[in-house]
Amino acid sequence: MTEVSITVNGTTYTQEVEPRLLLVHFIRDVLGLTGTNIGCDTSQCGACTIHLDGLAVKSCTVLAVQADGCEITTIEGLATNGQLHPMQQSFWDNHGLQCGYCTPGMIMAAVKLVENNPGLTEAEIRHGLEGNLCRCTGYDNIVRAVQAVAGGG
Amino acid sequence: MGYIGESIRRVEDPRFIQGQGKYVANLELPGLSHLAIKRSPHSHARINSINVEAAKELDGVIAVFTGRDLADGIHESGACGALPCGFRPPGIKVPAYHPLAVDKVCHAGEGVVVVVAESAYIAHDALDLIDIDYEPLPAVVDAKATTQESAPRIHDDIPNNISYTWVLGDKEVADKAFAEADHVVGSI
Repeated sequence: MTEVSITVNGTTYTQEVEPRLLLVHFIRDVLGLTGTNIGCDTSQCGACTIHLDGLAVKSCTVLAVQADGCEITTIEGLATNGQLHPMQQSFWDNHGLQCGYCTPGMIMAAVKLVENNPGLTEAEIRHGLEGNLCRCTGYDNIVRAVQAVAGGG
Repeated sequence: MGYIGESIRRVEDPRFIQGQGKYVANLELPGLSHLAIKRSPHSHARINSINVEAAKELDGVIAVFTGRDLADGIHESGACGALPCGFRPPGIKVPAYHPLAVDKVCHAGEGVVVVVAESAYIAHDALDLIDIDYEPLPAVVDAKATTQESAPRIHDDIPNNISYTWVLGDKEVADKAFAEADHVVGSI
């Protein structure tokens, strides 16, 4: 067992973990933050996307020990003071979800995509979200939701 | 607020966009165990033997079942028969389809052994301790070639690997319609 200290949504957690424990299992099973979903176990679907020191990463592809000393934001920590993040609001307004399973990962990926790329075009949004799969086939509305926040067209 | 001609926001969305959706994988029930499945790496193979002793001895493993265990009913709840087929067109031949392979695997990925354990990590560790002796058999991977007399037979009791032939429509009526048509496009 190895001790890690990881800050998640502003709270620092110090825990003993198995060196092989995946970060997504640390978030879901150790901390009980089940908003981060697991869709594929193979880094293809992006449902488990979180922010790790400011980068959007798939948390099924990171070990908890690699996140030692890092700051993490999950979908539960995106709203501030009861106020939805503009990306959350836009997914709601644009019907960018059906079953909601891919939604946390989509939103977390989209937030960083827009932050890091001003003036995104629709094609760039589609390319930027290639690593996130939606099985309800809701891509059009997801892209519209992201476009509304990006402000581009 | 009117509903006709308005775009209505869904009432269930706030929980999904904030990570509060409830999915089966989020359930944490008292006494919850975890299951992992050892799957066949072969498309077609005879199972000569399965050794699950090391897996059973791993700390945290609750039970290990092979297809033979389920079919023979080693558990107190009795034997687990083949799964029924809900789709029964006339003349269909249905092979016995067991929850886990019995004596033989018929496709890559077919379940062969299940492990029940106290955690998912332990269940997957136990899979690595299972030793299966397979005897690979010729596989079929092409739908048309599969039905040839020379193709390997996947289920011993089903010749040419044909489950059923389903005919739709009325050939006589269709032929007459084509014969009397002013124009026929393409060929049949």
